[in-house]
Amino acid sequence: MGKASGISRTALWLGGGGLIIGAVAAWLVSQGNPGNMGLCIACFLRDTVGFFAGGSANMGAVAYIRPELVGLPLGALAAALAAKEFRARGGSAPLIRFVLGFAFMAGALVFLGCTVRAWLRLGGGDLSALAGIAGIVFGVWIGTVLLRRGFDLGRAGKLGRWAGWVTPAVFAALLLVAALWASGVSMPWATTTPPGAKSTAEKAVIAADGATVLKPAGAKLVDGAVVGADGTVVSAPESVKAAKPMPGGKRAPFLISLIAGLLLGVVAQRTRFCTIGGVRDSILWKRFDLLLGIAGLVVGAAVVNLVFGQFNLGFANQPVAHTDILGSFAGMSIAGLSAVMLGGCPFRQVIMSGEGDADAGMAILGMAAGALAAHGLNVASSAKGLAPLGWPMLAVMAVLLTVIAFAKRGRATS
Amino acid sequence: MIEVDARGLSCPLPVMRTKDAIADLPGEAVVLVDSGTAKANVENLLADSGYVVTTAQGPDGYRIVGKRD
Repeated sequence: MGKASGISRTALWLGGGGLIIGAVAAWLVSQGNPGNMGLCIACFLRDTVGFFAGGSANMGAVAYIRPELVGLPLGALAAALAAKEFRARGGSAPLIRFVLGFAFMAGALVFLGCTVRAWLRLGGGDLSALAGIAGIVFGVWIGTVLLRRGFDLGRAGKLGRWAGWVTPAVFAALLLVAALWASGVSMPWATTTPPGAKSTAEKAVIAADGATVLKPAGAKLVDGAVVGADGTVVSAPESVKAAKPMPGGKRAPFLISLIAGLLLGVVAQRTRFCTIGGVRDSILWKRFDLLLGIAGLVVGAAVVNLVFGQFNLGFANQPVAHTDILGSFAGMSIAGLSAVMLGGCPFRQVIMSGEGDADAGMAILGMAAGALAAHGLNVASSAKGLAPLGWPMLAVMAVLLTVIAFAKRGRATS
Repeated sequence: MIEVDARGLSCPLPVMRTKDAIADLPGEAVVLVDSGTAKANVENLLADSGYVVTTAQGPDGYRIVGKRD
């Protein structure tokens, strides 16, 4: 096989895969998903955690089992089984992978998006995403230095066949709960963000009809202001006018989301699309085919966003984003480095979990724990900017990653 | 001939180990991998380095053989 044909075939494959992923993600926004959040592994996993932990973890605004997220590994499972690539494997530093997943999520929730959404934000014209993308490049660059010095989490081994089914089974169970919920089964223990609801700066929640106050209990709209049951003004009229849609309340119809997730799971499994690998391989050995996947994603998203009038070029006032350049850079540096140490971006981890990779399942579990901690401890940013404990959390994560980098260095010779 | 056992390694280590092993362009390179991703990446690397690649699937993954004159 000639050099050119090898490169161009993989490149075409990946570029096409990226185009589909970006286009479908942007289309999902037109179907109801939050702006520039047609697909976001960090956000959607966080929302799914919020469904179970919402009330007690300060996650009322971000609580919904995202059918896209559940569909991805199940689509990948089907594709892997069809291609005879399903293989139960695991045992490569699972606890460290849990911590790396946790660190990834903490960084992503400071930026407001995973390594997929960073590029989707750019494809929607959100220039503030560039700060996060610069952070990804910096974090990945540090990761390549570690790899060159022999960083290695160790070999995964073949596991009993059932072990590879654990993570897909968890996602299948999530799908069952989501389907029951969508068909109207009462789940008083769960939290779901009311569809179309808006929240004010003071955290009062107004229903989609614009007339009913859902939170705090007993509050009412009086002359445009939210007035509590005891007569005190919770949110002034200006604040009510400036109320923003809650991300968890913006969603495409259930079946559309699920089918999109399944489809993208198949596409990602077959193309091996990875948002971290693209940057990593370009730095490591100037191999650009995975990067073409990212380019395809940005182009696909931009075109569909333009078609649906969702493209909004600018730095400020972008959907579910803030303009803290330093915070975005630092958050995604942590996320980018964590992902290189894991061997792939969170999207890829979800896909690999569908291929029977139990270690990827541990990384996802770590991400879920990270989401819970980020919201419970006031680490996750909002459209207003960084949360009080955003920077301290990033500092702790930087220390953790440094410790892991030293602990797993220099096992390069096989 | 060189042989690389890259089974169970995370990305991008299978490619890195193979790249190191074929730095002197040996006539034959055998690489063992156990995931579809590693298989595709190593096959691409060998092909780009001028090897004719054949891959066989076994119970423990794939055995990729690259040969050059």
